[in-house]
Amino acid sequence: MYRCTSCDKTWTHSVKKCIFCGGGILCEVPGTMRIIGFTEVFIPSVNNEKVPYFVLLLEDGSGNRCLKKTFEKYSIGDSFDPHEEKSRSPIFGVVGTGLLGLQICEFLITKGYGTVLKTRDGHSIHKTLSKMEDKLSRNNSPDAVTGILKKISITTSFSDLSDCDFVIEAAPENIGVKEEIFRAMSRICDKKTIFSTNSSSLSIDQLAEVTDRPDRFIGIHFFNPVKRMDLVEVVVGEKTSQVTKNRVISELVEMGKNPIVVKDSPGYVVNRLLLPQINEAINLLEEGVATKEDIDNAVKLGLHHPMGPFQLADYIGLDICLSILEVLYSKNKTGGKKPAALLYQLCRDGKFGIKTKEGFYKY
Amino acid sequence: MYIVGAGRTKFGELDTSLEGLAYDAISKAIDDSNVSVRDIEAIYVSNFLGGPVNGQLHLNSMISSLIPGCNIPIVRVETACASSSSAMNQAIIALSKFSNILVLGVEKLSGPSLIPQIDAIAMAENRTIEKENGLIFPAAYALIAQQYFKKYGISHEVLEQISYINHQNANRNPLAHFFQKNVTLDMIRSSRMISTPLNLFDCSPMSDGAVAMVITDKKKTDRDVKILSSQIATDTISIPERKDLTTFKATKIAAQKAYREAGLTPKKIDLFEVHDCFTIGELIALEDLGLCECGSACHLVEDGRISIEGDFPVNTDGGLKANGHPIGATGLAQIYEIVTQIRGEADQRQVVDADYGLAQNIGGIGGTCGITILGCL
Repeated sequence: MYRCTSCDKTWTHSVKKCIFCGGGILCEVPGTMRIIGFTEVFIPSVNNEKVPYFVLLLEDGSGNRCLKKTFEKYSIGDSFDPHEEKSRSPIFGVVGTGLLGLQICEFLITKGYGTVLKTRDGHSIHKTLSKMEDKLSRNNSPDAVTGILKKISITTSFSDLSDCDFVIEAAPENIGVKEEIFRAMSRICDKKTIFSTNSSSLSIDQLAEVTDRPDRFIGIHFFNPVKRMDLVEVVVGEKTSQVTKNRVISELVEMGKNPIVVKDSPGYVVNRLLLPQINEAINLLEEGVATKEDIDNAVKLGLHHPMGPFQLADYIGLDICLSILEVLYSKNKTGGKKPAALLYQLCRDGKFGIKTKEGFYKY
Repeated sequence: MYIVGAGRTKFGELDTSLEGLAYDAISKAIDDSNVSVRDIEAIYVSNFLGGPVNGQLHLNSMISSLIPGCNIPIVRVETACASSSSAMNQAIIALSKFSNILVLGVEKLSGPSLIPQIDAIAMAENRTIEKENGLIFPAAYALIAQQYFKKYGISHEVLEQISYINHQNANRNPLAHFFQKNVTLDMIRSSRMISTPLNLFDCSPMSDGAVAMVITDKKKTDRDVKILSSQIATDTISIPERKDLTTFKATKIAAQKAYREAGLTPKKIDLFEVHDCFTIGELIALEDLGLCECGSACHLVEDGRISIEGDFPVNTDGGLKANGHPIGATGLAQIYEIVTQIRGEADQRQVVDADYGLAQNIGGIGGTCGITILGCL
């Protein structure tokens, strides 16, 4: 609230000078607010997909009013401290600054969660921050971007993750690297911290074994692009507790995602269905049955998928496709199919898709 | 200044395009007047969501395409749901320069939309204060209802009656969105919750429709209706910027000016068209327009005084609730009803001896109010 110091006019927008009397402007920070009205909304809209929610009408001691969206029920007359409510939200840690790690981090801070991002390379912190600022600026006002970026802290030290409620590991898909991360975190993190991995195919149970808390270990598999893909595969290991599972699911729902629960099995559900299809598309191409463009069209127009298998493989990254297919081939009980020779060849040539400017297509 | 021709389409979810609706209303208004389309010197077109819903802006030029070769000045006016009473207001002011002006209100909400309609409508609110806190339109009026209930200790029941009366009236209006819909108090009471305390039957529908009027500076026939006053007032766009949510200051200010200019008091007015985009809006309008004291509008409803046969007939066409709410045409639809009533052409819903009528058209959550008073002089 902006108030003229001489004539008492007020604005909700930032103004520099009073247009009535030329007086100076004082920015008033509202004190503890009291709830003077509320409504429970049952109709979803853009950015308010999860219903019902409450909109509170708040007033402070000097009559300043504001609105506040919340999922918790309050009564009229309750006092409400906006700062206190923020501190009740859980704090997330994200390990890894690859594509998914950064996307998860960006998604969490836009949803208002305090997030600690752990990176290996201290020199890249500034670059990471300014990249994120650029992306956020596309959909948010400069004020909002500043507010969102206050939620993030970037660190190179595992010890800064010690107080997180959840840590999501999004390091490269390499069991040795991931095990090392979880060993380090086991030594440092508070007992309450729930460990999770964003792995798309590795065994949850195997990773859980290296930690001091297999009951508080779970898979949280986001999809690319994190902001737009509502699905999250929650991978429950043999020792994952019911409490851990429920907490993770309710937090994901709170942030607007649609979690599904899957058992620890190679490729879980989505990749087990998707990757064999991509592999089969490559086989079709190798056999000369159709061109890659026509196969992409067949899947888009005949199966109504938004992208064809070759476009999607290039988008995911051919190296990632190959590593998932190898896991499916070696670990799948019903016997998966061997990854196609052309996929091995493209990966050997360093043609990983969009990120290297060439895969099945050139970019 | 007189309204010499009035035309409107049916309201509802219609197959007709934005252009089709506009053309239909224009030709009906021209046919209803004794002014040739060639004698129209300017057009004021009102529309709210042509951009975000239909992906069509530059509406004034689009209207020019409907009257090829005329090349007259045409201007679009937008003040959210009050757009068409504002367009009428601007057209009246322009009568100092022109003799024959056409005012058109048109809205096409059903069908494919660039962005979801509920989000497009929320553009009438403050884009940060309200939208970021999930205060969509029904929620804003729900907060107002909640504040009103708390202040005056009344219950939802009176809103159910308002909804019921409006549906009853619409059943006597063949052009209404909900003409011949059999609505019972039980249906109203048990309809699904939208935003507490408002349920589905507290909300007006999203309608397609268009209304057009021809206005002139001189009386031409006995069917012409005199414009006694047209006033616009505004208020802050957002709810937390106001201290009292149980009254709309913009309505009070515009109404006071209009009564003064027309030389009338509320008691002299024979019928009222008020902006019931949500039923609570109708209750508050009765008080803001001076029909009763603050907090006592519920008695007017309960005692049957706002029915067509009562001493303060309100929303005889069914109101926004049941006649429909084609946003950019709504204010003109209210004026259309008053013209029809004063001419004595309202058939089954005719108010006896209707000489004076007032229309109250709100934009946003009371951020704009247009008041129009018409008479049979």
